[in-house]
Amino acid sequence: MSIRVRQTFTRVVVIQVITLALLWLLQQRYAG
Amino acid sequence: MHWVNWLIVVVYLAFVVGDGLRRSRGAKDIEAYFLANRSLPWWAVGLSVMATQLSAITLIGTTGQGATDGLKFVQFYFGLPIAMVILGVTIVPFLHGAKVFTAYEYLERRFDARTRTLTSLLFLFSRGMSCGVIISAPAVVLSAIFGWSLTWCVVLIGAPTVLYTVIGGVQAVTWADVKQMFVIVGAVLAMLYVLVTRMPVPIDDAFAIAGAAGRMQVFDFSFDLTNPYTFWSGIIGGTFLMLSYFGTDQSQVQRYLTAKSVDEARSSLLMSAYWKIPLQAMILLLGVMVFLYYTFQPTPLFFNPTHEQVMRASAPATYDSLAARYTIVTQARADAARAAVAARQSGDAAATTAALDAYRAQESEAGVVRTAALAEVGKVTGTSTRDVNYIIPRFVLDNLPLGFAGIFLAAVLAAAMSSIAAELNSLSTATVVDFYQRHYKREGSDAHFLSVSKWATAVWGVFACIVATYAATLGSLIEVVNRFGSFFYGSILGVFILAMIPRTRALGAFVGLIAGMATVGLISWQVPSIAFLWHNVTGAVTVVTVGLLLSMGPAPKSA
Repeated sequence: MSIRVRQTFTRVVVIQVITLALLWLLQQRYAG
Repeated sequence: MHWVNWLIVVVYLAFVVGDGLRRSRGAKDIEAYFLANRSLPWWAVGLSVMATQLSAITLIGTTGQGATDGLKFVQFYFGLPIAMVILGVTIVPFLHGAKVFTAYEYLERRFDARTRTLTSLLFLFSRGMSCGVIISAPAVVLSAIFGWSLTWCVVLIGAPTVLYTVIGGVQAVTWADVKQMFVIVGAVLAMLYVLVTRMPVPIDDAFAIAGAAGRMQVFDFSFDLTNPYTFWSGIIGGTFLMLSYFGTDQSQVQRYLTAKSVDEARSSLLMSAYWKIPLQAMILLLGVMVFLYYTFQPTPLFFNPTHEQVMRASAPATYDSLAARYTIVTQARADAARAAVAARQSGDAAATTAALDAYRAQESEAGVVRTAALAEVGKVTGTSTRDVNYIIPRFVLDNLPLGFAGIFLAAVLAAAMSSIAAELNSLSTATVVDFYQRHYKREGSDAHFLSVSKWATAVWGVFACIVATYAATLGSLIEVVNRFGSFFYGSILGVFILAMIPRTRALGAFVGLIAGMATVGLISWQVPSIAFLWHNVTGAVTVVTVGLLLSMGPAPKSA
């Protein structure tokens, strides 16, 4: 597996964590 | 429909079909026709993967679901990025490196012909029927909304798709998918923009109203096996479903087999890993925005015009009474929402809580009237009635500026066509490679196999259109097929997992596959309340367990 793909995997994890965190914040602000 | 809207639709169809015909030049054998000589760039394949998964029902059904249930459906996709990363390091290099045409072809190399034939047959059966459903679902909605005949709607969706898929092969399918993704995302963004600009209250306050109505709830951490949309069913069941869909379903596998290299194939799948959840959240948010729009504007009692016609004709007094009551209730709801916004803007926390509670009560009352109205339609028609799929089309036609109906219809057609084209292309591949070439005619000229492939695509296209036309009368049969699909999806994934485990044997794979399907069937029959996402986990685990047990001990001597 190339370094580029490994870096991409890392980016996927980071972006998912950010996406879920944003959804969580959206819920906390409006659905409380 | 206004001629401007028609013009937009006609220009879109002419562009997609014309480009498909242009790309038909150059395919001289089935490797070019089905796999584009494994030459496509990752970004085009990635958009094709996303367009194939995003069907018309996603565009009209999921947005409707956003309007009625809010954002929680996004949890269904939480397993997708995990599945994409796992596939990137497991199945993708296996299949791409094996230079196969179909995923099932790889199973013969690893196990035996019967495992390949059975898995391919299951794919043909389920995808052949589901292709009909993918055409019929939007056709039924368009038919009711525009008042066109169902057959005409099926032809409008099916005919151009079959035409460019037959003539252009996978090149046409992929490049049409690229354009179609832009049309779909562009339409969703345009509609969101119009909704934001037309919202009568600030968007922050509007979201607070949506939150009070339960539409902004995303996460449900309860571990309830009967609830299809929880964090855990999404993360665990969703991962297994996405592993099955993207790793073993030919309609998706064929997308990334067209990529230039293993790395490009991986990158194409990772595009979905990046964008699927944000895209799905945006589609659901569109539904929430439509809900908010109708909170402040007059709301139709029925979103499906047919329901209104049926009630007016069969039970006019009941209809008038319900419609009058609904008008009063929704007006009270709008007043309560405005009062809640005013309280929120005043900064008085206690008044805001009280006003939001009052709004919630009105929203609940409106829901009761609508449920009662739909139940009345059910009594008249004798069938259960839901109108979730009609909310967005009706909103677009009644409320958006000139041209938006055309853009929306083009986006619905794009979403339907991109899924149908990929499925027809993969159905033809499995038919020709796994059956015709494998069992009937091994030797033949490139021209012969190319011709057979085009005919197979056309026959599957006609079959799907026929299923779509009769889908309403085949209702229970299609439901059976869909349930049957959930029986074997996880089980096929189990066979592919076995294929990657060293020293597992053909007998284990074949018996494991049957045991997996039987176990899921039994659970589905005995405990029908278990949500379908968990069936994928059960099927895969059963196949791997049985397969490993039957692969233990010394290998049988070959004859």
